Amino acid sequence: MTENMSCYVLCDPNKCTGCKACELACFAEHNKENNDVAYTVGTVTIPVTPKLYLTKTEKYCMPVQCKHCEDAPCLNACKKHAIYRDENKQVIVDQSKCIGCKDCVMACPFGAISILPVSDNGAVLLQKDKECVKAASKCDLCTGIEGGPACVRVCPNEALRLVDLNEEQLAKSIATANSLYDSRLS
Amino acid sequence: MRQFVKGNPDLCIGCRTCMIGCVVEHEGRRIFEIDPDGYDFNPKLHVVKTAKVSVPVQCKHCENPACMAACPVGCIKVINDAVVIDQKECIGCKSCMQACPFGVIDVISQVGTSQSDGSKRVVANKCDLCVGTGNGPACVRVCPTEALKLVSEEAMQESVQKKRVATAEAAKAIADAMAD
Repeated sequence: MTENMSCYVLCDPNKCTGCKACELACFAEHNKENNDVAYTVGTVTIPVTPKLYLTKTEKYCMPVQCKHCEDAPCLNACKKHAIYRDENKQVIVDQSKCIGCKDCVMACPFGAISILPVSDNGAVLLQKDKECVKAASKCDLCTGIEGGPACVRVCPNEALRLVDLNEEQLAKSIATANSLYDSRLS
Repeated sequence: MRQFVKGNPDLCIGCRTCMIGCVVEHEGRRIFEIDPDGYDFNPKLHVVKTAKVSVPVQCKHCENPACMAACPVGCIKVINDAVVIDQKECIGCKSCMQACPFGVIDVISQVGTSQSDGSKRVVANKCDLCVGTGNGPACVRVCPTEALKLVSEEAMQESVQKKRVATAEAAKAIADAMAD
């Protein structure tokens, strides 16, 4: 088995009510430092740009977000090398390198990437021609943020959880071995 | 998101009709009836052929175009949501060509123009999505195998939405399996 697989956040659609608290928490958490987004709406001076996307089907809903693939199609598609894998194997977009070519959006089979405006210092960044800077926006598992993924922390229904298959796989395989052991006499 | 034309290597037969269609559209003259030396054949997209693949490559009309940021004279502009080079202002510095990660900007010599030393002006050239012609991209229209498609913002969003719904359905299956 591969060692050190990347983690990802997965939602249980049976618990999600579609309240979008995850999207807002994601936005707030990532814009706390650079854009002074705090606890009230009045502190928001920029477009709300989440890194996970609430999706509704006819029967249920849930936020869709990056799986941090081991052979990530987005990373492989990015000609600017703006998508990289950090030391924890998480797949991260360097928005300052992104030119908004949309290749990653098309490459991702989950729909986990959107092209959204980029803000700094409480205002949308502008290009030479005064159009706003847009970059690929996708889950970075709140890397560098204390407490881990904000979406997981705020979900009122505990529908989201951080999946660490390194541990889960080991626990499952040990359980399988134990059951083989337990049933060996029968 | 800006629209762009995308080639499908599975359908492309490498016939280069798209390149001819592009020149016909932008030349504005009946090129098959005039002296071949009377115009320059400067398509804004190029069919790339390797041992593995044949497909036309052309501008992605990026949201934050590297070419536009690199242009020192500001001649790359967004017109009708397409990234367009104003060839009248271009000084042929090749900065955009170097900045573009897709290799879809060319420098071409412009027919009927001259610099002070008498040589032709050389300017940057790339797909402009046929803005202003009112017909939509010529390459898409002329391709005999329908290998080129104009990918609109709506089409893009629809495709992403479909993928998100499929992801949600898969997550539902996982949640159900784990609940059992």
